[in-house]
Amino acid sequence: MSVSRRDIEKIAALAELGVDDASAAELEKQLTRILDYVAQLSEVTDDATSAVDERAARLRRDVVDPDSLSRTPKEIAPAFTDGLFTVPRLGELDRGEDAP
Amino acid sequence: MTDFVRAAREAAQRIAACEEKGTHAFLAWSEAALVEQAERLAKADATGPLAGEAVAVKDVIAESVFPTTCGSKILEGWRSPFEATVVRRLREAGAMVAGKANCDEFAMGSSTEWSAYGPSRNPVDPTRVPGGSSGGSAAAVAAGAVTMALGSETGGSVRQPAAFCGIVGIKPTYGRVSRYGLVAFGSSLDQIGTFGKDVVSAARLLGVISGRDDRDATSLDRIPLGEPGPAPASLKGTVIGVPREYFPEGLHAGIKAASDRALARLRDLGAEVRDVSLPHTKYAVPTYYIVAPAEASSNLARYDGVRYGPRADGGLTDVRAVYRATRGHGFGPEVRRRILLGTYVLSAGYYDAYYRKAQRVREAIRADFARVFAQGVHALFTPTTPTPAFKFGENTADPLAMYLSDVYVCTANLAWVPALSLPIGRDQGLPIGGQLIGAMEGEATIIRIAQALERAVNATAEVR
Repeated sequence: MSVSRRDIEKIAALAELGVDDASAAELEKQLTRILDYVAQLSEVTDDATSAVDERAARLRRDVVDPDSLSRTPKEIAPAFTDGLFTVPRLGELDRGEDAP
Repeated sequence: MTDFVRAAREAAQRIAACEEKGTHAFLAWSEAALVEQAERLAKADATGPLAGEAVAVKDVIAESVFPTTCGSKILEGWRSPFEATVVRRLREAGAMVAGKANCDEFAMGSSTEWSAYGPSRNPVDPTRVPGGSSGGSAAAVAAGAVTMALGSETGGSVRQPAAFCGIVGIKPTYGRVSRYGLVAFGSSLDQIGTFGKDVVSAARLLGVISGRDDRDATSLDRIPLGEPGPAPASLKGTVIGVPREYFPEGLHAGIKAASDRALARLRDLGAEVRDVSLPHTKYAVPTYYIVAPAEASSNLARYDGVRYGPRADGGLTDVRAVYRATRGHGFGPEVRRRILLGTYVLSAGYYDAYYRKAQRVREAIRADFARVFAQGVHALFTPTTPTPAFKFGENTADPLAMYLSDVYVCTANLAWVPALSLPIGRDQGLPIGGQLIGAMEGEATIIRIAQALERAVNATAEVR
């Protein structure tokens, strides 16, 4: 499996992670090598795994237990106004509003 | 001066001596903080099982005296507004938090070379790594700064550094110890573990932090493990399985010699040593390096500079640009690599081929262990690592080479079973670890066997 620059750009966008050109070139090679290595899992047939018990997920009680935080969100957030975390606008929304 | 304050000052002297040698086991510690905790314990007339004990805490565990940075710039200076359940239990047991131990960034690494604040050094040989990711915790114990420390494991991050530093490390059964306040990496794999200068120290600490916690939905409904018993004089009636896949052709000669000697001691103690097979072992590392990055890519999405931690905005006017700048600048190379790998294997078109496949193989690995333990085997004995501690820089250029140093330890995380590492000898001065793996909830069994083996082997003697 060869990972291309386009793949790196796509997954970096999905992960909301800034990746510069030099890092992208190195990541292409490293991820290709890692994915080639993990590809050996295709040797394991589904027959070898089908008889295995699946453990059901345990669910916790559906009640709200308030955490006792020593500091409030207002004190720990980078920006907080009128009870809300604040961030710059989503650029795509701006473009949408500007569209005819 | 109370006994608690005296213990705090003595611990501070030991930590200072450790750090003056350049060990860099700690990211944060102070004598004043230790003394303040000691004064609180004295005022409360604390009498718990760890009264007056200073315990190092890996920096991925939330705690309120020192910052919790996870070894990352993205949480530089971050102070948690709550404490982990394990830290609360330490305090209830009369212990003090000695300081925050260095680790690979977000516990991703096998050497501490991926800590954003510089690596720790192996006290046995400072030119070599202490292992990772809990390398600072292991180095603190090996250097004599503390007798106990907390670490965490996602794929062997307690046992591997314990082996490299010549001390004891225990990874409990998944669910035995609360993960509340453990910063999440791979939630289906993560488990807090313990280090000790000997088996009893590590087991006593595990006894204190174990037990059900309503704040962790994966917590097992069990009472705490409590204090370990005395070391047994005989292991008659105990069956030790030796999985042949962990002893391949070409195994490092020193590791093989130490393992052979430890198995001879187990036989001398009366144990039956039996050849067994775990046929899917070779698939453990590839399985791990799909499952763990996939879970990491999801868990680390929370670091976006919105609710807490530093934000890299610098006049940016688009929230997505803020996310990318904050995460791009805040995460180091190994964390970025794993986030991208995890995003890739979870993305449309690749999910079935990678993630779903890895989950199925993981089940096969778990079934291997279950089958062996159902055949009357009480514990498995293996080497902990394929080599002794490596030198700085030896594996950083090749991520895959670094991943393969976890080949014997990541299986227990995938299978949720308990496992420990104890020192079983030295090769050219470097410690070698032997691993005991137990059945689900079999901590008491492997601790009992380890206590007997610890007395029977000379862990500081050369093995060849």
